[in-house]
Amino acid sequence: MNTSQSSWSRTAADTFAVLARWLLGAVFLYMGLNKALHPVEFLKLVRQYDLVQSSLLLNSIAAVLPWFEIFCGLLLLAGVAVRGTAVMLIVMLVPFTVLVFRRALAIQSALAIPFCAVKFDCGCGTGEVFICRKLLENFLFILFSVWLLAGYGRKLCVRHSLMSCAVKTSLTEEGRSTGSI
Amino acid sequence: MAHANRRIGVKQPLEIMTPDRRQPVRNVLLEALLVAAAGIVLALGANLVSPRGLALARNYFPADINRPVPAATGVVNTNPPASSPAQLLAARLKEQGLQSVDGRQAAQLFHDPRFKQGSIAFIDARDEPHYREGHIPGACEFDPYHPEKYFATVLPVCQAAEQIVLYCNGGDCDDSESAAILLRDVGIANQKLFIYTGGITEWTTNGLPVEIGGRNSGNLRRTNK
Repeated sequence: MNTSQSSWSRTAADTFAVLARWLLGAVFLYMGLNKALHPVEFLKLVRQYDLVQSSLLLNSIAAVLPWFEIFCGLLLLAGVAVRGTAVMLIVMLVPFTVLVFRRALAIQSALAIPFCAVKFDCGCGTGEVFICRKLLENFLFILFSVWLLAGYGRKLCVRHSLMSCAVKTSLTEEGRSTGSI
Repeated sequence: MAHANRRIGVKQPLEIMTPDRRQPVRNVLLEALLVAAAGIVLALGANLVSPRGLALARNYFPADINRPVPAATGVVNTNPPASSPAQLLAARLKEQGLQSVDGRQAAQLFHDPRFKQGSIAFIDARDEPHYREGHIPGACEFDPYHPEKYFATVLPVCQAAEQIVLYCNGGDCDDSESAAILLRDVGIANQKLFIYTGGITEWTTNGLPVEIGGRNSGNLRRTNK
């Protein structure tokens, strides 16, 4: 009974993790494409965060980020280097969420409106959004990324880990990584 | 032994909860570094070959001098609260040696017969889709983010004009300032350049006509006041 229950929950978790991986991949692909198609608009939005003074650095951030997001999105959709990509998503999402939060606080204090009523284009690739919704979205994306980093979502992967040849995991010993090549 | 334990149902929670726990963290970090390196190289390459790619070495914001942090919605002012956005804008223009005109002056210049003669020129510093959606009738298109596309048509107009009025959306938009600085850099006299700070937003709010499509298309639309 216990074994079948735990097997069922494992399957459910695996399936959900694959869906989360596809969702993350699709979202990053979509957001990256939106930015890559309108690089000047994205450049203006990045500039509003006042992150760097050098125009070379500013241009590099605005030029690289959209395509990098597309790249990560494709890797997740295909299931290549999933854990490494998950690390990169966390590296991007955490500081970006902090920046968005700080900017929303500045807007809130300038306009004297409730925090959740703050709406602006954060440069996320989806136009103007309400801040609370954006923060919740980012929190979920970070959560999914951590989940993928923990090793879930390996079904239907082209190559879950680039380093898999070097290390044999307990899962591969069990033959549970069905679908992985 | 491990197989035997599984067969008799002995729990192995660590293997179940963290399937890759034996894979060293080092490998995951190495994989992340590989993803980062490959991603950055590919991104730079994609930007290079994309027709919309950014020129990394170019300063797209020549108007940047102690610029306050603006907001897409509302106004965010990180400078001391005593300075209003209008004061900040005036100070910024002064610092750049640029002059400004308000809505009334812009309308006067538009109705001035010298505009028809080419002694007064209007320059629209927004991108092409916005320009085509509606611009001040007779205004030249000059997107400061792609100046090379427009210099050939804009420069003769600017050289012939005695007064050049540049505008964008108004508000936080400083593309008209960037356009003015680009024109100044290619030899247009500074005293000819005027920034219409209210921009197209104020123009349409004041019920003045806009032209749809290309320059001198004759397709005019009067906006509602």
